[in-house]
Amino acid sequence: MLATYELTTGQKRFIWHHLLVAMVALAIGTLFGPLQAFEHSGLDLYKYLDPVIKSYYQGLTLHGVLNALIWTTFFITGFITLTTIKGLNRPLSHPKLNQTGFWMMVVGLLTAAVPILLDQATVLYTFYPPLQASWAFYVGLTLVVVGSWVEGWGFYLTFYQWRKENPGVRSPFITFAGLVTMVLWQFATLGVAVEILTMLLPAALGLIEGTDPELARTYFWFTGHPLVYFWLLPAYISWYGMLPKQAGGKLFSDSLARLAFWLFLLLSVPVGFHHQFVDPGIPQTWKAIHAILTFGVFFPSMMTAFTVIASLEYAGRKRGGTGLVGWIRALPWNDPSVASQLLAGILFIFGGIGGLTNASYEVNAVIHNTTWVPGHFHLTVASAVTLSFMGISYWLVPHLKGKKLYSAKLGVIQAWTWFIGMLIFSNAMHVLGLLGAPRRTPLGEALYVPAEWEGHLLRVAIGGAILFVSAILYFWNIYKTVRNPETAEVEVPIAESREDPQNTPAWLDSWKPWLIATVLLIIVGYGPQLYFMIRDISLTSPGLRLW
Amino acid sequence: MSDADFDDREFHPRGTVLIVTLFVLLLIVLWGSVYVILLARGTTL
Amino acid sequence: MSEKLHIDKYEKNWMLISITILIVFAVAVLVAGFALGFQLPGVSDRVDPRTVSQAGPFADPGLREVSPGHYEAYIVARAWSFVPREIEVPVGSTVTFYITSTDVQHGFKLQNTNVNVMVVPGQVSTLSHTFDDSGSYDFVCTEYCGSGHAAMFGTLTVVP
Ligand code: HEM
Ligand SMILES: [Cu+2]
Ligand SMILES: [Cu+2]
Repeated sequence: MLATYELTTGQKRFIWHHLLVAMVALAIGTLFGPLQAFEHSGLDLYKYLDPVIKSYYQGLTLHGVLNALIWTTFFITGFITLTTIKGLNRPLSHPKLNQTGFWMMVVGLLTAAVPILLDQATVLYTFYPPLQASWAFYVGLTLVVVGSWVEGWGFYLTFYQWRKENPGVRSPFITFAGLVTMVLWQFATLGVAVEILTMLLPAALGLIEGTDPELARTYFWFTGHPLVYFWLLPAYISWYGMLPKQAGGKLFSDSLARLAFWLFLLLSVPVGFHHQFVDPGIPQTWKAIHAILTFGVFFPSMMTAFTVIASLEYAGRKRGGTGLVGWIRALPWNDPSVASQLLAGILFIFGGIGGLTNASYEVNAVIHNTTWVPGHFHLTVASAVTLSFMGISYWLVPHLKGKKLYSAKLGVIQAWTWFIGMLIFSNAMHVLGLLGAPRRTPLGEALYVPAEWEGHLLRVAIGGAILFVSAILYFWNIYKTVRNPETAEVEVPIAESREDPQNTPAWLDSWKPWLIATVLLIIVGYGPQLYFMIRDISLTSPGLRLW
Repeated sequence: MSDADFDDREFHPRGTVLIVTLFVLLLIVLWGSVYVILLARGTTL
Repeated sequence: MSEKLHIDKYEKNWMLISITILIVFAVAVLVAGFALGFQLPGVSDRVDPRTVSQAGPFADPGLREVSPGHYEAYIVARAWSFVPREIEVPVGSTVTFYITSTDVQHGFKLQNTNVNVMVVPGQVSTLSHTFDDSGSYDFVCTEYCGSGHAAMFGTLTVVP
């Protein structure tokens, strides 16, 4: 489908506001990454932050909340606004609704930021009770989530309007995939919504005496796993639906791309116990069932690997690349957006392998809550996702602002420094995890650090330093782009499919059966165990502030 | 081969097959090595 | 328009290989977990974190010999130490750990073993390990539990 509809200035500004909040959050959030990495190697810079930031843990709370929750959620809702409008070739049907959602998210962010900055919410981004933050932290997070729901409703209504006018027409892939991402998010966030509204907020307000921490963990991870797909799927939208165009090719298979998205929706919720493998209070059988379903949700990612690489091979050969690997060199590596996403994809190979390891039931005990885990998710959310989003922003910011990208070359260097820094950082973190180093711990001050960890801790710092340089290059380039006197008209890259999407089977473009199956699978996968845990709820853990 | 002689219908993703094959081998080696560590650290029964 | 899904033959083979690998891994994991003794913690009786250290086994945490070579270790995790902090067992012993928390969530990871559990108020985490080699094994808290978290660890010594 040809994207004929051009965004109005108002729409561009609206999407830009999402990106602006996202990037400011990332700028502040990533600042703490290198500090944490340096601390691990024995270089404690926190003492200089004392008037503002009281502890390693307060910094880590900011790092987790701003990077993993705010940067992602704002970027994604902005990006899906774009894929909805551009795919359907029409404006949002209820722009006021979306604006309301956006402002709710902003107010929520500010509400949560105050207690975090005042050291009243140093509970990390997982806010496990009975550690208890100020009520404002929970209210703020709730507003962010509800605001994103409201924006989601705006997308559904727009799609519904389009569907009524275009019965039988295959929905454009990028729009379809964006909507699946939003729906997945709304199923997913029911978990934390219940957790906060029935336990954490009432406890913080003193309305109930305490919480049931294991039930809270269960609610949290109901959300926590699909959350990672909420982060990942927008990157996949770009890899499937945009990158082939940027590389000069086509999407290898429209049908399989859609099938992958449906499988993500279907399988990404009833797998949350894989984060609770080593928890007490959950039967081994349920853990094993979720382990198997997790193996199931790995499958669409393997499909994605094939389809995306094949689309790139198609592009590379079309550009004149030959032989088994020659097409790789023929890809436009000098385009910073392409380079970022290709390198993000390579890092994701390792992220995927580590993820399957984590998900492997008792194998999880080898690495649970060690530095292996942050080593893993810096390859996924902090690379596959973040580096891809950076790559997207190399065309999206110019598109929205009507400015020429300040420096493509700097962008390419930024992508490579992120790649190299992350390889060093995450390899060291994985190895340390296998050696037993705990995560969420300022290891520089821990008393049980054996000598064999030290070389790896130094590599964590070296990787962190390279990543820091990369982050600065990124923000500098974006800043200079926004202020660039040189204007440019940059198109939204939308890839065609090799096959006519109209030949994609109708069952891959109809919502009802997939939504019903998703709800049923969630009920089967979570219903029984949740029923017993809620029946036996005991709110016997009073909230504590131990920082 | 240049763009002009590129034939869509003759396109088979052979390079992709190579890459995903390497991926599977890497997966087996890396996943397998953690599984071996698990076995070496002893049972929990 | 057709209702049949067309899949490239290379990609179809890839999908079959993917499924095969996943099945092989799943079988390996389930065999180790359910037949070879590489257990994960499961459900045990609930406790009240406010009173658990006043009566019952956690009132007097520490090591108990239940039969020759078999021990139970009751451990209380609290901010920011484990009680007891030091444990000593003879080589060859099998120790079953029972761990609970009287305040916030903690972790308990006994280095170089597969005893690695979350410690959650209201719950008891249980796993065992047989110590075939003498030496000392640190157990460290692996979950953020407040400002003293990095200092929270203990040592289990296996004596010949
Ligand atoms: C400059 C680049 C970065 C560096 C050097 C860095 C470094 C680190 C380190 C060392 C930790 C572990 C702290 C600990 O366990 O004690 C950590 C945790 C974390 N990082 Fe990063 N990071 C970077 C960027 C990012 C990005 C871009 C994201 C996400 C988009 C991210 C998300 C997280 C999250 C969610 C945690 C876990 C926080 C927690 O355990 O509560 N990081 N980071
Ligand atoms: Cu997960
Ligand atoms: Cu701790």
